[in-house]
Amino acid sequence: MNYFKKMSGQAQSPPGVSKNEIFWSWFGSFLGIAAVGLISSYFLESKGISLVIGSFGATAVLVYGAVRSPLAQPRNVFGGHVLSALTGVFFQQLFGTVPWLAAAMAVSCAIAVMHMTKTLHPPGGATALIAVIGGDSVKNLGYFYAAVPVGLGAFVLLLIAVLVNNIPKTRRYPEFWV
Amino acid sequence: MNKNFKCSFFEFSEEDVIDAMKSMDGFIDITTSTFREIYELAYQHAIKRMLGTMPVKNIMSKPVYCVDSDFTIFKTAEFLAEHNISGAPVTDKEGKVIGVVSEKDFLRKMGFDAEPSFMGVISRCLNTSGCMVSGLKTITLQDILSSPAVIVTQEISVSEVSSVFMEKSINRLPVCDKNGFPLGIVTRSDLINAICLQG
Repeated sequence: MNYFKKMSGQAQSPPGVSKNEIFWSWFGSFLGIAAVGLISSYFLESKGISLVIGSFGATAVLVYGAVRSPLAQPRNVFGGHVLSALTGVFFQQLFGTVPWLAAAMAVSCAIAVMHMTKTLHPPGGATALIAVIGGDSVKNLGYFYAAVPVGLGAFVLLLIAVLVNNIPKTRRYPEFWV
Repeated sequence: MNKNFKCSFFEFSEEDVIDAMKSMDGFIDITTSTFREIYELAYQHAIKRMLGTMPVKNIMSKPVYCVDSDFTIFKTAEFLAEHNISGAPVTDKEGKVIGVVSEKDFLRKMGFDAEPSFMGVISRCLNTSGCMVSGLKTITLQDILSSPAVIVTQEISVSEVSSVFMEKSINRLPVCDKNGFPLGIVTRSDLINAICLQG
């Protein structure tokens, strides 16, 4: 297809969702982020760790708002976050003195790693980026960043997703586990 | 198979896809065009798989009308006309297939060795006094039948049959058992029906 013709777009935008769907997206994400925030403030922040990282907001969009998506399945959510975190920490430690390079390598390699492992999860890109730009509190965690907050937070979000998304008749979750 | 092959391909409108997505509840993160691509590729894949594994016995025509090798030309023509077919396997006294006779074989004997065609006969008939049909009176079925017969067993796949059609440029294939006795016949139209999943 012609290079410029491809830019004009081919398809119609998909339909919007029902009110019911909007409610369950809202409800699930409220509970998910609330759980992460509560665990963080009651158990972790006293130890100087926050369980709440920005990429979880993006994960919530997928696991509560687009539950059928391959990108929102447990393999992708957990695998994508943890592998991206490891990738991010690796490049933070390698190129930490050149932030733009560390950030670019962290995100691009995280995407490649997720593709290779069939764990593509868009918020993983943010998780990798946060490993580089997250400041000293993240830097000091080293590879532990991949376990807490990233691994634990992803697990909590998944747990809430499995519990909430199977309540309405019109939803089921997950489509597959691994 | 041609990539753009559509056959009786079920065409649905953009609205059909949108309606289907709406009825599914929940956000579906593929576009309508992605869905169409998946659907068309899956459809083609299914046809290829089915034709590659489906045995010819599933699509062949039964019963098969055979002409005896001792039929006269006249009786053969009458037989084909009676059953409204353009060709048939020729069987020996035991009933084994020894060849195939078709319209083309008749036309070839009527002076069209290169490209025998019905319109060729018409034009010649109109051009000369009298038709060449009379020439057929002196020959026998043995003179015109195509032999040895190209035959297949009923286990071979539909896609193999289509390559035999192409290679030998023929229109019908008797399907026989191991001993050469006819079980059915597969024609180009049987094949087309099978591809359209109407077989």
